[in-house]
Amino acid sequence: MSTKPSIASSAFSRRGFLGFAAAAASVPLLAACGGGSASQGGGGGAGGTIKFWDMPWATPAYNDAAKKIAEGFSGANSKASYQIIQWNNFYQTFSSAIASKTGPAVSTGGGFQAFQFEKQGQIAYADKVIETLKKNGQFDDFLPGVLDPFKSDKGYVAVPWQLDMRVFWYRKSLFEKANVALPTDWPSLLEAGKALKKVGAFGFTTGAGSGNNYANHSMIMMMVNNGGGVFTKDGELDLMNDRNVEAMEFVLELVSNGIVDPAAVSYTTDNMSAQWKDGKAGYGLFQANVPQRVGDTSGDLLVADPITGPHGDKATIVFPNNIMMYTNTPSQEASEAFLVYYLGQLKELWRQKLMSALPVFKSITELPEFASDPNNVKIVKDWQPIAKTFASQGNTLNANLAALDGGQALNQFTQTIITGKSDAKTALQTFQSALESVLKK
Amino acid sequence: MTTTTAQSGLSRARKGIAPGGTGSGNRKSKLSAQTTRTFFWLLLPSVVLLVLIHGYPLIYAAVQATHDGDLLQTGDFVAGDNFAKVLSSPAFWKAAQFTLMFTIVGVFGSWLVGLGLALLLRTKIPAGGTFKVLLLLPWVVPIVVSSTAWNWLVATPDSLIPSLFRNLGLGTPLFLADPNLAAITVMVFKVWVSFPFMMMMISAALASVDSTVYEAASMDGATRWQQFSQITLPLIARSTYISWILMTIFCVNDFPTIYLLTGGGPVNATTSLVVLAYRTVFQDFATGPGVAIAFLMTMTLVVISVLLYRQIRKSSVE
Repeated sequence: MSTKPSIASSAFSRRGFLGFAAAAASVPLLAACGGGSASQGGGGGAGGTIKFWDMPWATPAYNDAAKKIAEGFSGANSKASYQIIQWNNFYQTFSSAIASKTGPAVSTGGGFQAFQFEKQGQIAYADKVIETLKKNGQFDDFLPGVLDPFKSDKGYVAVPWQLDMRVFWYRKSLFEKANVALPTDWPSLLEAGKALKKVGAFGFTTGAGSGNNYANHSMIMMMVNNGGGVFTKDGELDLMNDRNVEAMEFVLELVSNGIVDPAAVSYTTDNMSAQWKDGKAGYGLFQANVPQRVGDTSGDLLVADPITGPHGDKATIVFPNNIMMYTNTPSQEASEAFLVYYLGQLKELWRQKLMSALPVFKSITELPEFASDPNNVKIVKDWQPIAKTFASQGNTLNANLAALDGGQALNQFTQTIITGKSDAKTALQTFQSALESVLKK
Repeated sequence: MTTTTAQSGLSRARKGIAPGGTGSGNRKSKLSAQTTRTFFWLLLPSVVLLVLIHGYPLIYAAVQATHDGDLLQTGDFVAGDNFAKVLSSPAFWKAAQFTLMFTIVGVFGSWLVGLGLALLLRTKIPAGGTFKVLLLLPWVVPIVVSSTAWNWLVATPDSLIPSLFRNLGLGTPLFLADPNLAAITVMVFKVWVSFPFMMMMISAALASVDSTVYEAASMDGATRWQQFSQITLPLIARSTYISWILMTIFCVNDFPTIYLLTGGGPVNATTSLVVLAYRTVFQDFATGPGVAIAFLMTMTLVVISVLLYRQIRKSSVE
């Protein structure tokens, strides 16, 4: 009787093993080489079906409503199909579908996606759509300045449909408990932070963990709030300007005073939301609809006033999410007709209270369903007019912003600052060098 | 009984020879030309499939690694520039260093825990089958679920484990915010996720070991430690090496464990090569350097696999 190990040697040849090992070892290679498949539009259909791809912007009820709107289109001898694309690896999904000519004719997507695909000649300009909007009155309905970032030398790259605004929120009861006034400028932000710390709360709530970009946005917001920004007016990289250095020195001061949660560097958005819900967050930059998002609609969470920088600047950042058209379409005329139709139906999404972002149309901000929330009204009235894009100090968006937002350079910079691991100038210099290596001319 | 007799018994046992067995070795049969041709034709469809499935993406990846394009366009040919850029980047070497540590701890940590539990479960304990199933859970539960659970256990100062430390007067450790603690936490998480796999591999190997070998060794005067070190370990050596190879590949390629728990942070403290490759391609949109990182990983894995395979052959010869 013999005792053999569980895997018999006779069934295990060297070549067989090497083949197996090579196949297993090549997993990262295959994963990285961009072989993902494109999700196909549901309707495909005979000529004239416009494939509309949309993202999960809110709860599933949003996508149900958006699907209903999209499938209600019947203009230009055409109809539309609706497909949800998940955020996970969405750029790869779009890229591979577009490369194989199976992509959408019209889509929502990442904030800077239209500019990335425009650079590759895949985007159909929306100038005719804008002309139509001018004729039907919707053009004048846009909130001030929301359309400008999409105008390139060649035409409108996309059309905005919602605004993802960054605004300061505060918990009223914590300010009362700390017996401190709401910040109006940087010195009062520092003082409020110190007072909040005494009652066990944080005065500059943020998070830079996996998938959480709020700390990144807080850094850029503070630069912009001081009249600085990542780029010059001409779009040149300009991180080392004095205003940025001053802004980051101020954030480092907040860090050294314990006003930023030392664990924030690892907070996911869920962790950050939990801090708001649990009364640990007194003040901080967040998006619209925070009470609904964190699950505290008691009225204790409120939108704060914009604060003024040391040189009198007052600004925040905004991500104007947009709808884009692609050159690969069964009919450009039908794509344009669909986009005009869809923009005209957006009101329904806010009427049903399905959206967490802000609308781009004044008429929607006046809907009772939207205007009944004083936080919404305050954001539109006080924050939207001072909102600037990531391209600030420039105005027009571009493809490079995709590598900035969520890219490794900004992540590392932000984590370095909120852990206080470096001085402002060194961190900015490293950030600038890292960005230079990924931004394309 | 003399020591020589005990050593002789252990030596026979290591070779898998039961008492009374002759230990006749492996016989190599020479294949006839006809059999070789049959094998060739039987293998051909698989080979063609493998070339189609792996060959095309590999070639496409090679093209991407030598161009400066993106996911949609190939871009200009830059020869080895992407490799040079990656190899001269401190971020790459930092990620390589973390990957090495992560792999060593992941492989040997999970092996030690798996071995211990496999040996424990080999003894007759009440409800052993139930324990086996429960111990499999970390491996069975989707990483998304377990990483979320771990995140809630350690992420904030008020999470369960930091609170426990605080109540024990040990301060409030920031398990995911402190670079060193984050690296340790990710490695412990990996061991926790992986030990059931090792346990199953070792359990299967142990199940095939004839108990009479131990009886013989015991009669020859071998101590428990001698039985473990000179019978058990050698007899499960092949399975051990194979599990090490597989776990090395699992660890080096492990994206979700790290990315879901820390995202590679704080300040790149837990960025492994596969996370770096992902971030380079999908966050910086630098496809060439990202694929170059993946190529370098693949080559390293193949070298490690071949070296460990040689060890397997060596162990079977012994």
